[in-house]
Amino acid sequence: MEKNYNLNGYVLHLLPTPKFKTVSLSLRLQSPLSKETTTLRTLLTFVLSAATQELPSSKLISQFLDDQYGARLSANISTKGKSHIINVYSSFVNERFLPTKASLFVDQLKLINDLFKHPYASEGAFNEEIVAIKKKELKERLQAQKDDKFGYSVDKLFEYMGEGHTLGISSTGYEDEIDQISAKDLYEYFLKCINDDVKHLYIVGDIDESIVDICKEHISFPVVNESYETAYIFNSERKDVLEVIEKQDLSQSKLNMGYTTHASFMSEDHYAFTLFNAIYGGFSQSKLFQVVREQNSLCYYVSSSYDAFNGIMLVNAGIESKDYDKAKQLITEELEKIQNGVIDPSDVEMAKGQLCNSLRKAKDDPGSIIALAYNKDITGHEDAYENYLEKLMSVSLEDIQKVAQGVKLDTIYFLTGKEFDGNNTL
Amino acid sequence: METIHYKTISEDLYYEEMANGLKVYLLPKEGFSKTYGLFTTDFGSIDTTFVPLGESEMIKVPDGIAHFLEHKMFDMADGDATEKFARLGASTNAFTSSTRTAYLFNTTSNEKECVELLLDFVQELYLTPESVEKEKGIIGQEIKMYDDDPDWRCYFGSIQNLYQKHTVSVDIAGTVETVNSTDKETLEKCYNTFYHPSNMMLFVVGNIVPENMMSIIRNNQEKKSFTKQPEIVKEKIIEPKETKTKEDVLKMDVVMSKIYLSIKVNDILTEPKALLKRELAMTLLQDLLFSRSASLYEKWTKEGIINSSFGSNFIQEKDYCFIQLGGDTPNPDVLKEKMYELIEALPQYEFDIEEFERSKKKNVGSLISVFNSPENIASMFSRYYFSGNMFFDIIDVLEEVQYEDVLACRDLFNKENATTFIVLPK
Repeated sequence: MEKNYNLNGYVLHLLPTPKFKTVSLSLRLQSPLSKETTTLRTLLTFVLSAATQELPSSKLISQFLDDQYGARLSANISTKGKSHIINVYSSFVNERFLPTKASLFVDQLKLINDLFKHPYASEGAFNEEIVAIKKKELKERLQAQKDDKFGYSVDKLFEYMGEGHTLGISSTGYEDEIDQISAKDLYEYFLKCINDDVKHLYIVGDIDESIVDICKEHISFPVVNESYETAYIFNSERKDVLEVIEKQDLSQSKLNMGYTTHASFMSEDHYAFTLFNAIYGGFSQSKLFQVVREQNSLCYYVSSSYDAFNGIMLVNAGIESKDYDKAKQLITEELEKIQNGVIDPSDVEMAKGQLCNSLRKAKDDPGSIIALAYNKDITGHEDAYENYLEKLMSVSLEDIQKVAQGVKLDTIYFLTGKEFDGNNTL
Repeated sequence: METIHYKTISEDLYYEEMANGLKVYLLPKEGFSKTYGLFTTDFGSIDTTFVPLGESEMIKVPDGIAHFLEHKMFDMADGDATEKFARLGASTNAFTSSTRTAYLFNTTSNEKECVELLLDFVQELYLTPESVEKEKGIIGQEIKMYDDDPDWRCYFGSIQNLYQKHTVSVDIAGTVETVNSTDKETLEKCYNTFYHPSNMMLFVVGNIVPENMMSIIRNNQEKKSFTKQPEIVKEKIIEPKETKTKEDVLKMDVVMSKIYLSIKVNDILTEPKALLKRELAMTLLQDLLFSRSASLYEKWTKEGIINSSFGSNFIQEKDYCFIQLGGDTPNPDVLKEKMYELIEALPQYEFDIEEFERSKKKNVGSLISVFNSPENIASMFSRYYFSGNMFFDIIDVLEEVQYEDVLACRDLFNKENATTFIVLPK
């Protein structure tokens, strides 16, 4: 059972369970997602975990972690609707399973504290050499991301669909802004994060309340009296569907369709929409997989996903360029059927079972336990786990039809081969 | 049913061999809601020439047939296995590697029904000429998806560089042509030969009571009859010691270039314990050279020729063995030169004993962490099982590895047998 404590500048969440052989820590820093800070913030996650005053290089930090029986430390970035989240994650073996007695817990907490209190910086700037290496690494990471054609085409869909809105802001920053960031700029932004970001610390493992005092002793931040927006429903002013086609030298075309909805994590329709998505395209038993792949052999992958923090839905499929119109038509027809109330009650039961299974499984993985708890904590969602399940189970056929009717195609992004002529007919 | 207690990691493993030759291993995990079953056959993409069950002549089947069969296995005479799992609230999947095909389910309810369904759908093949035809378009798209993936092309290209005769250089899914030439009769021959219980292993881990679960499996198997199977005769591949080619370059529509250096190892071990020991010694050597704690990794990072995508890999199977190292780089030619210089200098490389001990500690911790996840336990267990080792012994074997064993692995980096594969932007 989760227990929360308001400590110095952060909320500590204890999630004790005896079933894991490791202890996992996750410190999450929340600020608004903005175009001006997204590159800075991403670069910060690279630099933050690279060194401290006491361990002034990546090599020394890694050696320290190896000595702690392969303890892990990482920092990454993600979005939660209108918020941009830094996640500093650490996991290490429960001392019970080790041949020697070690105080891994205290050492890891101290290290996390050092990342913020004793960074490798002087005269108001991070170490120049580390910043230079990490700038190069981020740039190369963003370039390599473009080469993953699936990920690239989804990013492009967000960019076009969300142009001028939060939705259109890249969560991992912009390549052309990296060069101009100095070690001093980054350090100033870092101080701002320490002062302004809302912070939560999660601990999962075989632990007890004695840990609260250890956290109090070793981790503290300035008190922040802010709260930032997270989940929302994306509102598009677009009247006609925006269709963007890009050609590259490719074997397989990537079809991405973005839809507006009337549901988000915060709305009462959230449960019905979760079920609608499960029936429409969330699982391999869903309509899209059954019709587009199994019946028509058009693709290897096709699915829909519900982005509950932006209040939108996406459909992705990898197809032949010549099947563009046919795939779009099938995807649209399946949606229309649900909108018209053609829903098999036994499919609803099946989807409920699958969603329950996914939720219960999440309780067997430390990372997922933290992710679920965090979603709840930053949205102020009161629903406890059991309550959440109960609401899902009570969704009716009519509820599903109703939320489906709120779904509207907004933007299509089609990444296709050079041979595509755009005049395909069925 | 036998019970084996593993003290180091405090786990109890239950084992029984069925009358038909099927080996069954069960691992109860207290506190977990999830149950994961993995049913594996010793049949992979490399097995394309063999004597079919009940015949006397060797036949050559189309490349990619093990993977094709995996796709079709989910069809049952009375429906689709995926749907049946979904109706039990469970999910299912399968994967094919060079040497194995594995089927799995993941559930938090109806565990007994799920285990029976897993056994039943894999132990019955239901094909029609139409269903075989239909699958070809789907697999074709899967192949094309991988064709556009530069990481996969570079990884696999570097393996293809090494082998003149061995089928490990054949793509796991085959090609669009070999897929199109696959028919129902040949699929059935492969199935009858390689899906005999004596060639398979079932591992179930999670929320189970071993006695009950074993008796369900036993009853299920006693109801079925299988033709007694002699040992499977596969073609013995005579692979020359020399590599197929020294280097290859592929131009793709990408931004980032990448390189893999691969080394063919001709000293192939067969004794299970020796295999495992060498793999672990090699893991330590690769850590000492290429992990973030290593001086060499730091040096190459500072020189700007590698980033965090850099890594290395060591594969040992029954009749082939190779090493791979590489990753994204802005300058593949320079990195290539550096890697060759390293190989040349490696026989003189020494490490501090302290570094060696640290790397050991790190790997002990990582292995303990595997026991957090039913999926990871199952996948590691079956990986080692088919090479004659028990994954649960691995930490004890790691403790036995000496510094001299690590130094001995340096000899496997043989310049004569090294090749490079480079992906460049067009």
